[in-house]
Amino acid sequence: MDFDVETWVKLAAYTGGGIAMGFGAIGAAIGEGYTAAQANLALSTNVKNSGSIVKNMLVGQAVAESASIFALVVAILLLFIDVPVPSLLKAASLLAAGISMGFGAIGAGIGSGIPGGDACLGIARKPEMAGRFTTTMLIGSAVCQTPAIFAMVVALILMFMNFGQGSLHLNWAAHLGAGICMGFGAIGSGIGSGFPGGKACLGMAEQPEASPRLMTTMLIGSAVCQTPAIFAMVVALILMFMKFGNAPLHPTWAALFGAGISTGLAAIGSGVGGGMAAGASCEGIARNPETVGKVTTIMLVGQAVSQTPAIFGLLVSFILIFKTFPESYTLSAAMALLGAGICMGFGGIGPGIGTGMTAESAVRWVARNVEHAGDLMRTMLVGQAVSQSTAIYAMVISLVLIFVV
Amino acid sequence: MENLGKIHQLIIPLFGYKITINLEVIIMTWIVFVVLIIFGLFASRKKDILPRPIQVLGEMIVSTFYQLTEDALDKEMARKYSPLVCALFMFLLLSNWLGIIPHLEEPTKDLNTPLGLGLMGFAIAHYAGIKSKGFKAYAKEYFQPMFFMMPLNLIGELSKIVSISFRLFGNIMGGSIIILVVSYLTYSAVLPPLLNAFFGLFVGTIQAFVFTMLTLVYISVQVK
Repeated sequence: MDFDVETWVKLAAYTGGGIAMGFGAIGAAIGEGYTAAQANLALSTNVKNSGSIVKNMLVGQAVAESASIFALVVAILLLFIDVPVPSLLKAASLLAAGISMGFGAIGAGIGSGIPGGDACLGIARKPEMAGRFTTTMLIGSAVCQTPAIFAMVVALILMFMNFGQGSLHLNWAAHLGAGICMGFGAIGSGIGSGFPGGKACLGMAEQPEASPRLMTTMLIGSAVCQTPAIFAMVVALILMFMKFGNAPLHPTWAALFGAGISTGLAAIGSGVGGGMAAGASCEGIARNPETVGKVTTIMLVGQAVSQTPAIFGLLVSFILIFKTFPESYTLSAAMALLGAGICMGFGGIGPGIGTGMTAESAVRWVARNVEHAGDLMRTMLVGQAVSQSTAIYAMVISLVLIFVV
Repeated sequence: MENLGKIHQLIIPLFGYKITINLEVIIMTWIVFVVLIIFGLFASRKKDILPRPIQVLGEMIVSTFYQLTEDALDKEMARKYSPLVCALFMFLLLSNWLGIIPHLEEPTKDLNTPLGLGLMGFAIAHYAGIKSKGFKAYAKEYFQPMFFMMPLNLIGELSKIVSISFRLFGNIMGGSIIILVVSYLTYSAVLPPLLNAFFGLFVGTIQAFVFTMLTLVYISVQVK
């Protein structure tokens, strides 16, 4: 079989299209299922208002679907894309576009199902506020879509930007790294920003007069838990637009791959963790609206700490991108750099979720026990520091792999 | 698109060393200083029992951060540290907001600014810790829970500087890169003002608050 450049481009476009739609279908399906499940639960408690519950369920599902519609659009574009000047670099970009959109849609799909389902439960409890629940649900789900939109922007840039012909040198690795980084980096933030949306809907059912406060807290909480996705997008954009000059091909390609993996994977845990803390703060404010100041402060501190693994991932990525490595044709040098990225990436997932759990329960209990807010915060920080230490071990090993090995 | 990650630097050769000065960052930082000083003068000039709007704004900021400091530390220490906390927040807030004005750049977009502030917070926290507990009790904490955990505790403490400064830097620089790329792709139509409002005003405010609160929390963890 003869593999010329055009065949490679077609191959990459079809593979990328398959990845985009295949993985992109996962999240939305789960999210819609959750919405439908909660709608059933809501119907069983309040059969009289079945009409508005079903209507809300359908609207919620339609919003949750949009993540996979983004994936569908990118997949169709990839299948029928017409590349004017085929090059191997374009092939890498198309594959990366598929990876970015496919994985990037998972989190947003799951996350935006949560407000939809919880809004149905809210309508069952307070049918007269159906309009407000639908609005809150729409805003909450729209915020969840942001990471998927980031992923789509990166995918479209990769597909349609003209990066110049023939400059294959290193840019292929950078483009694939960018796709991986944005795709995985969007998962956590997408799932995480669903929690505050859902809890805000439930909270409004419990405490309707606190609705404006709940809406503000929801927006602040989900904006902060988007930070890991923003980090992933920054690394992806730097990787795409950087000029590499005369950097040696070996082992720099592994460093660029590693840079993508490091921030992309480390952002998953931090995104989910930040979302858990934000969800608990909405729950807490609904329980006791007077505590809004303390709850928000502790939520922000807890989220900030649970973002630390993503920041370590960002640091490792920056070192991998901007450090110049001496030319070496041995495989071990390349594998050390790739290993550094993988180590920090996977090492960051657990601490992000773990510290998020700590923050979640601390924030929840502050609302019930506001006079002990100081003690709760201190316990939270000490506990988080211990669970953070695994991320620090991962960072130490990554830095050793980069600078010593 | 060529502006991505470009920094204007003044490089002065001096006895074989090169002194690099990021001119733009310094100018922008001075703009923030000047605005803050003017605000302070206007807020405290002609103090009255019936305050004018600008005095109300000043009093509101000061009292909010005094209250936050008092919650985290105690009353006596709050008198000492609340001016720092309040000034830090106002500086960061204006710095993060500066980017929405055309031709001006956020000083916090350059890693040197957040890193400097992070180091400052770190040094102050440890100074406060040594002062309130005494050096022996302070040093003893590094050998908890076991003596061989000392290197890890040390790295954990140092990683706080990394996380606090990279959080601010990543958010502000990330926002400005996203605005740049989207403006380029859409030929600056429709979207950039909304993005500026989100990344400049909203995220900028939250990140300024988070940075300030974390500095305060680091102090309070060392003190207690």
